[in-house]
Amino acid sequence: MYCGECAGVCPRNLIEVRELTLKFDEKECKDCKICIQVCPVQALEKEVI
Amino acid sequence: MLETDVLVIGAGPAGSMAAKHAAMGGAKVLLVDKKSEIGAPKRCAEGVSKDGLKRLGITPDPRWITTEINSVRLVSPNGTDVLLDEEKVKLSEVGYVLERKVFDKHIAMDAARAGAQIMVKTLATGIERTNNHLIVTLEHMEHPFQVQAKIVIGADGPESRVGRWAGLKTGAKPGTMESCAQFEMVGVDMKKSNCIELRFGSAAPGGYAWIFPKGDDVANVGLGVLTPRTDKTAYQHLLEFVDTCPATQKAQPVELNVGGDPVGGLYKDLVTDNVLITGDAAGMVNPLDGGGIISGMTGGLIAGEIAAKAISNGNYSKKNLKEYQKRCQKEIGDSFKKYLKAKEYLLSLSDEELDSIADAFQNSDFDRISPTDLVKMLVKVSPKAMLKLGKLF
Repeated sequence: MYCGECAGVCPRNLIEVRELTLKFDEKECKDCKICIQVCPVQALEKEVI
Repeated sequence: MLETDVLVIGAGPAGSMAAKHAAMGGAKVLLVDKKSEIGAPKRCAEGVSKDGLKRLGITPDPRWITTEINSVRLVSPNGTDVLLDEEKVKLSEVGYVLERKVFDKHIAMDAARAGAQIMVKTLATGIERTNNHLIVTLEHMEHPFQVQAKIVIGADGPESRVGRWAGLKTGAKPGTMESCAQFEMVGVDMKKSNCIELRFGSAAPGGYAWIFPKGDDVANVGLGVLTPRTDKTAYQHLLEFVDTCPATQKAQPVELNVGGDPVGGLYKDLVTDNVLITGDAAGMVNPLDGGGIISGMTGGLIAGEIAAKAISNGNYSKKNLKEYQKRCQKEIGDSFKKYLKAKEYLLSLSDEELDSIADAFQNSDFDRISPTDLVKMLVKVSPKAMLKLGKLF
């Protein structure tokens, strides 16, 4: 779904919104979870390894 | 490597206006958009004001207008409504509900006719500074390439990266980014076909719900919430709203749209060396109603004019581009400051206070109310609410 709200609030500018997908720079992510908080459709979740 | 005077990233209304006016000013312009189709999918309720289009010199065209709006119905949490009619009160909301996928293309076509080159399905992935130019890396159909530009205009929407790549502090926070969800629905039971409906209160915490008619029984039905004020997603709120709203009891969705709306006001810095930002990427969204088409296009027009002027005199420095900041502040930012205060007041009201205010104004003859009468009524209805208003202004 084309949205991009997560990218707009990412404090480190790490999310690239492509036409059909999102690309995350996971190495630089500090796990603040703001992107998860704002997603209008719960499309994002923290990956547990 | 491709070379251009001005590279505009994002072909929404703001970006296309920037490209059009930069090209009209004599600059060589490349306009890129990451999507395959300009204007689709929409992330917007599609409303614009008549005054706004007129100020921008855009003639309304039936190809992109679905409905003309002449009244607004404000509905409080308990369903009490106040009807504001164009005949009785001057309304900034009167205008049109657009078909964005047609409108956005129309504005992009204007840019092309003015001389801009357009590339769709082209994503910007990074910017590097070199001497007096910028080298922008892009991807077209997954093939990377580079463009050398004298000026880059970032019109890349609420998810903007261009400003931050250039060192501008443009990111929004959850408290300043409305999280929005919307269905385009058929079978909507509207009381008046040329009336938009705005519903306030806890159905949409931190924002409001809307019904924007698009002709016959079709309407955009959506809402925006501020996520720090709710534990539910915007989509969950939308499902509940559609389930309880009288107008949508027999309606069916034909499209779902989601997206963020930066409602924290115009960003402080819109300019740096070789770079301007505009539209949603610059916070050009009315903080009160969340509308950003006209303000974004205004910003785009100014950006295009300033960029062309800078190309013409060969100076792309922040100092020379600073005029853009000043004009945007005057034409967009100053009014946003007032809207921010009004929004703060609106959000401070409880459902009960909203109901009391709606109840008091329900049968008011608005063309006969003076500002003093208005204040007197507000004090009578809710002294507490009036006190909150007094603290803000």
